[in-house]
Amino acid sequence: METVIEVKNATKIYRALDFWKNERTVGMENVDMSVYRGEVFGLLGLNGAGKTTLMKVLLGLLKPTSGTVGILGGSADDIGIRARIGYLPELPYFPKYLRVREVLEYFAGIFGIPGNTRKQRINNILETVKLEKKSEARVKELSKGMQGRLGLAQAILNEPDLLFLDEPMSGLDPLGYKETRDIILDLKKRGKTIFFNSHILSEVEKVCDRVAVMHSSRIKNIETLSDAVRKNGSLEKYFVGIVEGNP
Amino acid sequence: MNRILAVAEYIFKQSFRNRILNVLIIFAVFAAMFSLAISELAQEAEVKMVMDFGLFAIGLFAFLTLVLSMTIQIFEETELKTLMVVMVKPIRRSEYLIGKYFGVIATVLMNLLVMTAVVMLVVGLKGGDPWDIKMVTSILYSYMGICVLAAVAILLSTVSTTVPSWVIYLLFIYVLGHLTVHLKNLVKDSAGAAVKAVVDFIYYVVPNLELFNLGDKLNSLSGIFEAKYLGLVFGYGVLYIVVSLAAACLIFDEKEF
Repeated sequence: METVIEVKNATKIYRALDFWKNERTVGMENVDMSVYRGEVFGLLGLNGAGKTTLMKVLLGLLKPTSGTVGILGGSADDIGIRARIGYLPELPYFPKYLRVREVLEYFAGIFGIPGNTRKQRINNILETVKLEKKSEARVKELSKGMQGRLGLAQAILNEPDLLFLDEPMSGLDPLGYKETRDIILDLKKRGKTIFFNSHILSEVEKVCDRVAVMHSSRIKNIETLSDAVRKNGSLEKYFVGIVEGNP
Repeated sequence: MNRILAVAEYIFKQSFRNRILNVLIIFAVFAAMFSLAISELAQEAEVKMVMDFGLFAIGLFAFLTLVLSMTIQIFEETELKTLMVVMVKPIRRSEYLIGKYFGVIATVLMNLLVMTAVVMLVVGLKGGDPWDIKMVTSILYSYMGICVLAAVAILLSTVSTTVPSWVIYLLFIYVLGHLTVHLKNLVKDSAGAAVKAVVDFIYYVVPNLELFNLGDKLNSLSGIFEAKYLGLVFGYGVLYIVVSLAAACLIFDEKEF
């Protein structure tokens, strides 16, 4: 199996913003994990467990204090690697006066998608996330769920090999859950690797191949979804057992 | 280059859609009121006053456009975390900053062109020459001064963590940039060595924005509009922009989000 994410003994310690303070906060500690090509990997954890820190370290938005982090055989510092990844932040925000198509054109420009194929690519993506009828709408006219779908559209605009989703179901209604899930499953079918953080265990259960539980800044356990459910009866029992200290 | 242009276009479009142009409405009202107020003066004095006032107003409103445009950007980047989405895309951090710089100065240029047209119109109506070379040169250098300030504003945005702190730093530089030459003259003969050293430090580090303020020299006979002087001021401006943006890129490169 080809490894697309490899984290070895990575630790992130935040220092206080004020230089005269000597405060340190552990964001994540001694994290070891691997994610393989074509799998959907779910990262579970309570608020403040360190999930977002880990995702930001993987994306190169934060530098690990120690340890090594590799993605797609390189590092997120390399723009060639970044051209192959997609990222959906939790509750994405886009300038409210811009039109949906303009937002995607901006990102297409950064991705270097050529002008002759850009329009078609944007139309296809808008169709995928079911925003084709809103392409000329301003962002401020979109519901929260639609803004989430626009966030997903910019994340998959470059047809990434590796997709990071931070709470992708946040702010979505039940129909939005289903549509997002369908997109994730479709991407998986096309051989893409997906790494996602979520609180919504029922959705994790429907799309993930493997899950990791992060608690108190550490990865406590990594297991295939089927084993986690088989051994514990349900994903919820598996998760609660680990965070309460009974894995 | 395409990525820089993509960012510049995005910043420009965003500023435009955020009603930055409203600054121009206030400017137009301001200019019309002033024109009416001075209509009682003799024609020669009237034209001179319109030019002086026009240059002052253009400088002030161009600065306001810069502050408004950058405030929107910094607010969205820091408070709404839009920067994270861009930083994981295949773009160098320096490209993003330079694109942002060009987007901001393009926004200011658009407003400045409209304001210039208004001033020229009023000068023409008052019987003056709308294409007066000194006035046009002064407006160009006023824009150059704003370009320098915009580069400093970008640098400050890389070290500020909130919008209010950025605004305070920029206002401080703006005021000091206009006073630094006067401060140097003030302490030239009277102050002690320590004070002189501090003033010298400020003089050489803070951009000397007064250099770009040619407006008050419009009718002087000192030869201040000589090509050599203008060339040196232009060179100073370009150097300051390059150094400020290079420093901003170095700091931004190490930044975590």
